[in-house]
Amino acid sequence: MAEALRRVLTRDSAAWSGEENTPAVGPPLLLLGAPGSGKTALLFAAALEAAGEGQGPVLFLTRRPLQSLPRGTGTTLDPMRLQKIRFQYPPSTRELFRLLCSAHEAPGPAPSLLLLDGLEEYLAEDPEPQEAAYLIALLLDTAAHFSHRLGPGRDCGLMVALQTQEEADSGDVLHLTLLQRYFPAQCWLQPDAPGPGEHGLRACLDPGGLGPRTEWWVTFRSDGEMMIAPWPTQAGDPSSGKGSSSGGQP
Amino acid sequence: MAVVLPAVVEELLSEMAAAVQESARSTGSRSLKFLFGSSATQALDLVDRQSITLISSPSGRHVYQVLGSSGKTYTCLASCHYCSCPAFAFSVLRKSDSILCKHLLAVYLSQVMRTCQQLSVSDKQLTDILLMEKKQEA
Repeated sequence: MAEALRRVLTRDSAAWSGEENTPAVGPPLLLLGAPGSGKTALLFAAALEAAGEGQGPVLFLTRRPLQSLPRGTGTTLDPMRLQKIRFQYPPSTRELFRLLCSAHEAPGPAPSLLLLDGLEEYLAEDPEPQEAAYLIALLLDTAAHFSHRLGPGRDCGLMVALQTQEEADSGDVLHLTLLQRYFPAQCWLQPDAPGPGEHGLRACLDPGGLGPRTEWWVTFRSDGEMMIAPWPTQAGDPSSGKGSSSGGQP
Repeated sequence: MAVVLPAVVEELLSEMAAAVQESARSTGSRSLKFLFGSSATQALDLVDRQSITLISSPSGRHVYQVLGSSGKTYTCLASCHYCSCPAFAFSVLRKSDSILCKHLLAVYLSQVMRTCQQLSVSDKQLTDILLMEKKQEA
């Protein structure tokens, strides 16, 4: 759900125009990064964002229950929003398949956002590419079904987080190619900082044809609050992508 | 379709729709053959032979099954561009050269031309059909 993530990222910045009240949901989004790069935190932030619009519940799938609220939730956690996030914990790939295949049988209102954290764990169980493709396709098909149930003019977004490693083996590369085919929008996270002595994460958001790539600086305050600002662009900085249409992947 | 097909395929499919309405099918199929090669002829054959079935349940969720020329049935998810056939796995996912396998092409053609078998099943049965693909026994 590129749109929810973009709203999370622009929330604190001056770029927030406020006129985008009911934007289109956007294409399925893949969130990528090494361990500890903030994927769960951003996923959770997107869930809270989507749960606040009065648009219906959010379905958050992850292998293990979150032991504590992710970074970035801080003091702004609204219990009303949290109540609208339905957590489910499929413990194995088979259970995830079962959940997705039977999603149309589940009673209750359809979610407006479907999130999955830790896709790499489910893919690792079954390295067969055809199985991996079917799992990914089912995620999209499930979101498409929810969109259908939400009715005309409303869509269910999809956001999936995948952990990447520094040294990717051929299986990982295959999965990544597969995922990039099915997920037009991607956001890469890596620990980085715009200047010496600073910390945080660099988020590169590629909305998949809906706009230019944008870059953001994500930091966490001592109280856990997540702060987001546009990545400062400096003259002569070759990686400043704001407004430019150069499409190389990081 | 929720999936973002390459723009050229989208355009071609809408041309086909127009051609079908004018009963000028031969024009559409020439472009198809140019773009998709032999898959196009085979896909048109599948459509002609009524090999595509749209399976839907009361929930509104649906899936396509295509009876291949070998007699095997393949499952296609039109919403997101997936087919269970080996050709899809090999050429589309690995080699990334073919845009579509003949079964998916046949499904899209049958959508445009509005001709395919229809089958209604219960919600539970649809779950089982989708789950069956998880482990396809050869």
